[in-house]
Amino acid sequence: MQEAGQGQRKRKIGNKKGKGKKKMKVFQGSGQKVKMDGKMKKLFRRKARDYNSDDSDDENDIDEMPVKFEKKQSQIKNKEDDEKSSDEEMDDDDADDADGDVGNDGSDDEEEITEHGIMKFSEGSTSFKKAFKKIVKRSGSDDVLGPVLSAHKNLVVKKLAEEAAEKKAKGDARKEKLLLSEKGHVKPDAFSVSHEKLLIGVATKGVVKLFNAVNKAQSSQKGLNPSRSKDAKVIQKRRKEAFFSELGKSPSGSNAKVGTSGNAGDTEGPAWAALRDNYMLTTSKLKDWDKAADEAEATDDFGRQDDSSSEEDD
Amino acid sequence: MARFRNKKKAVFVKPAKKQSQQNVDHVTGDKIPRSFVFSRLKLPATLKQLQADLRKMMLPYTALNLKEKKRNNLRDFLNVAGPMGVTHFLMLSKTGTSPYLRVARTPQGPTLTFKIQQYSLAVDIIKSQKHPRVPKDLFKNSPLIVLSGFGTGEQHLKLTTIMFQNIFPAIDINTVKLSSCQRIVLLNYNKETKLIDFRHYSIRLQPVGVSRRIRKFVQNHNVPDLRSLQDVSDFITKAGYGSESEGDEEAATVSLASDVGRVNKASTKSAVKLQEIGPRMTLELIKIEDGLCAGTVIFGNSGEKKEQVEEDEEKDDDEDDASKGSEDDMDE
Repeated sequence: MQEAGQGQRKRKIGNKKGKGKKKMKVFQGSGQKVKMDGKMKKLFRRKARDYNSDDSDDENDIDEMPVKFEKKQSQIKNKEDDEKSSDEEMDDDDADDADGDVGNDGSDDEEEITEHGIMKFSEGSTSFKKAFKKIVKRSGSDDVLGPVLSAHKNLVVKKLAEEAAEKKAKGDARKEKLLLSEKGHVKPDAFSVSHEKLLIGVATKGVVKLFNAVNKAQSSQKGLNPSRSKDAKVIQKRRKEAFFSELGKSPSGSNAKVGTSGNAGDTEGPAWAALRDNYMLTTSKLKDWDKAADEAEATDDFGRQDDSSSEEDD
Repeated sequence: MARFRNKKKAVFVKPAKKQSQQNVDHVTGDKIPRSFVFSRLKLPATLKQLQADLRKMMLPYTALNLKEKKRNNLRDFLNVAGPMGVTHFLMLSKTGTSPYLRVARTPQGPTLTFKIQQYSLAVDIIKSQKHPRVPKDLFKNSPLIVLSGFGTGEQHLKLTTIMFQNIFPAIDINTVKLSSCQRIVLLNYNKETKLIDFRHYSIRLQPVGVSRRIRKFVQNHNVPDLRSLQDVSDFITKAGYGSESEGDEEAATVSLASDVGRVNKASTKSAVKLQEIGPRMTLELIKIEDGLCAGTVIFGNSGEKKEQVEEDEEKDDDEDDASKGSEDDMDE
């Protein structure tokens, strides 16, 4: 608004100038500056006319254009605003018209003056000035969008909304994807502790069985180095003895050594490879694994029974 | 000059390394099973971590830094497996519904397909613990395996048992060193839910009947804090608060055959303590195939028909020599 006021002041100054020129005219009457060629005069006059004609055209254009803009803007703005702005517009137009008239008057008056053309040039830029003023006067709306061309305002709003929606959709998709990739991933929590303790108990039982078996097996060969051939023979003998004594025992005689080969609470198998469930499997193909199982059924049963009894003991 | 010298030069032949010796345990003479853990399709980050955890669990007889590329198919791995003596494949895959673990024997099969219902990474488990314990040489020896609850007599469970027993090297109880038993893998079959709990623990041995204070002193080799004591003898005589799980220890004590570490001497009682190191999985056996990711279906969980179809489709995608046989369910 300040600027607008300034502009008006300027205009007034211009008017004053015009008046000043009128005074000049009076001076001219004294015949000081009338030394002018006819050609020059003609040229200036033509120029002045051109400017005037431009001026009028521009004015018309500009007067029409802003109205259009306002109309478009009014679609978005409130009705009150609309009315206000249109009123202002009207006022402005009136003022402009009046100014223009004054200018024109001045020009009409000063047709014969030498600097007339140049003056006209400054006057002629009024159209541009007006347009510029109008743009400047239009206070930037407090919209989120900022000062954008009103014509595109709708479009921009639409675009922004679209973008936001797109972003949201993308974010959702990503979240979903992450959730899917994390599927099944569970962090250990407090309420599963009892189950974990149970499992640890099972595992501990297995370890204890194995260690006891190892203890029993290795206590017989204490002090003997298996890498020495002499000791190795002794060890072989003792193992054989231990094995036969194992065979002679009744299944209910629950010794830990065989107990490890059972299915429940199963750790590593006994010394003799054939007692292991995987006896056939480690050496040959797995083609007839169920047949192999049938073959080893006798020993297996023995291991299983044994194990169940030991489980009960525990 | 040089020519003459050439004549005399003895041709040095590098003695060919015996491949068989690498694959055989030098004490027991058993064949050492080796494994590859890899994924079939692109995995999300957490499953990749699970794969890394599984590899660590399978140490030392596995390829810890196995690099797989998108264009690698099963046959590539199979080709490498032969010369390297790899006997087992653990394959992780992911469909829209859930992740899957396939355990296969090479080169002929069979293949067990598990659906991973739930899993926790080693990181999650370590985070949940107050005092996580990971000794340096924890992964230098292969773990023990404990299979529990598989003795229902069903064929597919028996095969599962055999499969998992053979994944890790067999232990000869006559020669095994107790100090090499550091880890244990537990598979617990739940009859009601038909789910398999997969756990991985570290084994710790503690001398029994010694007060906690002295045990710590011996273990840590640190100067004890005697400020609160009147006399040095109080350090030993004054009883600290006993272990919180004294009752449980009765069942979990063993007498050792050989020394384990500095603290646990032979023929003394020691308590077995397990601490979880992860990963943790809840598996559901959904299919057993005769071949390596192919062949006739020996066992198929009828309740999971839909998933099975998906699985088959996925398999067809990454299978180049899939000769599909007729499906005949033996068990159900």
